[in-house]
Amino acid sequence: MKKMIKYWNKPSRSAYLFLAPSVILLILFSVVPLIIAFGLSLFDVSITMDSACFIGLENFAEAFQDSRFINSLKVTAIFTGLEVPLQVLGALVVAALIAKNNIKNKIFRAVYFLPVICSATAIGIMWKMILHSNIGFVTAALQSMGLGKINFLNTPGLTIFVVSFISIWRSFGISAIIYVTAIQQVSASLYEAAEMDGAGKIRQFWHITAPSIRPTFWYILMTRFAGALQIFDIIYITTNGGPNYTTESTVTYIYSRAFSSRSSMGYASAMSVILFAIIMVVTVLMYHKMNQED
Amino acid sequence: MKKKKAIKIKDVTISIPIFIVLVILALLVLVPIIWMTLSAFKPEKEIISWPPTFVPQSLTVENFVDVQDRINILRYMLNSVIYAGGTTLLAVIVNSMAGYAYAFYDFKGKTGLFLMTLATMMVPFQVIMVPLFLVVFKLGMYDSYWGLIIPRVAVAGSIFMMRAAFSGIPKELAEAARIDGLSEMGIFWRIMMPQVKPAAITLIILSINGSWNDLLWPMIVTSKTQMRTLANGLALFIGQNTIEYGAAFAGALISLLPMFILYMVGQKYFVEGMASAGLKG
Repeated sequence: MKKMIKYWNKPSRSAYLFLAPSVILLILFSVVPLIIAFGLSLFDVSITMDSACFIGLENFAEAFQDSRFINSLKVTAIFTGLEVPLQVLGALVVAALIAKNNIKNKIFRAVYFLPVICSATAIGIMWKMILHSNIGFVTAALQSMGLGKINFLNTPGLTIFVVSFISIWRSFGISAIIYVTAIQQVSASLYEAAEMDGAGKIRQFWHITAPSIRPTFWYILMTRFAGALQIFDIIYITTNGGPNYTTESTVTYIYSRAFSSRSSMGYASAMSVILFAIIMVVTVLMYHKMNQED
Repeated sequence: MKKKKAIKIKDVTISIPIFIVLVILALLVLVPIIWMTLSAFKPEKEIISWPPTFVPQSLTVENFVDVQDRINILRYMLNSVIYAGGTTLLAVIVNSMAGYAYAFYDFKGKTGLFLMTLATMMVPFQVIMVPLFLVVFKLGMYDSYWGLIIPRVAVAGSIFMMRAAFSGIPKELAEAARIDGLSEMGIFWRIMMPQVKPAAITLIILSINGSWNDLLWPMIVTSKTQMRTLANGLALFIGQNTIEYGAAFAGALISLLPMFILYMVGQKYFVEGMASAGLKG
């Protein structure tokens, strides 16, 4: 026993002991599942896994003819197209307004950050009730303004906008805070020089702040994009894909095909692989564009 | 003198509209939360009256009793505590050890292991959720606390955060402790960990918050009612198209309160951690 302790106590050896837990866990629960995902997509497997039959690329062929899958890609694209630009640019404007360190701005920051720590479940329940057609106070307020009774979470064409809004409401605080951190790191002497040249606040923002925080902008854009393409929880709570599949995102559809009564693990994996490819292509393209700019 | 005054007046005329915009945004965040909090204390009859009230006309706690009767929310809360607590405790130990090894040791295969860890960051959780379910199932951990906790322990982002924290410590500190006869584990645990307390606290807070709010993972690896956490238990309750609005308000409020308290205590760590470790969700 003592000998063993002594053997492993050599720095170069104990490094492996220190790393073993994380490496084993990451392989088991990240690397292996990714490999299985690709493998599984070539099989026809049910949730019970009692039979698996190799069908090659049939799952992929099926996916591209599955109108519900195509629809889910469209929904995800609309959601991403609404959520990401509004959030990334809106948060930048807000951040520019609250970047200075004073008590007033610190209070604003603390408030805007509040939804970030809340669960999607609680936020979803909250907005579901607020926009509820029978008990919601926003519904009532708009009705009293003569706009009629709007059923926010059950109107095809409108609900996707509502879901995007809830998602922005939930996470614009974190984007704003990240911008604030970046803006505060811009050297004060740059602003002083601009001030002497008589540049106004808005010109200072465009010519000094904006170029200085470009890496942060790209970082937020890329992470928000990848996040939006995987949207699930807010949709699951508020609409579960309804009405009429108009808010059914790709992950929502994958989830229902993997874990519901019509379960097909192989087919769900094939759709996951397609989604993975889309995320990777978008990320790589953005990364390329970012490097081109610098 | 006169010129300076003119600038000041201009600043004020700009800053008042800005202030109003910021206040409106703040109200947009706060009013829904306040309305939900107040509604949790309204009697069901008042909740379903039209038009809905904002300030309660009469107060009651019956919604909290109802939600316990309907879905045993105390059990869900216990599960959330076990899931968040267990994951966090193991995450701090495992990810700190890894971060320390990458910062302080030279060994064969370091680059390879480091790159593998980095690569796992690129794998979106939603993409591997199906096979992850199979792995947990095959390991016999389905519908158990182990299945909830173990797969969520090692996180590349946390490893990098701890590595960055450890990198700031001079190597001589480890050498001196080694000469004093401390074992490698002893150096890590007694000398090094206290040095990176802020990073460790950040990791703890983000991990508690992340697992407390986690919806998808508990839904995938548990099915028994008594294994549900607050986030997924409430989601399933509301998903049945419930008309028990009072109970839903009460449940949502119960699930939020611990995070509000955590936020008040550790706001600094939340903000710094999320700003540096990156975005989630």
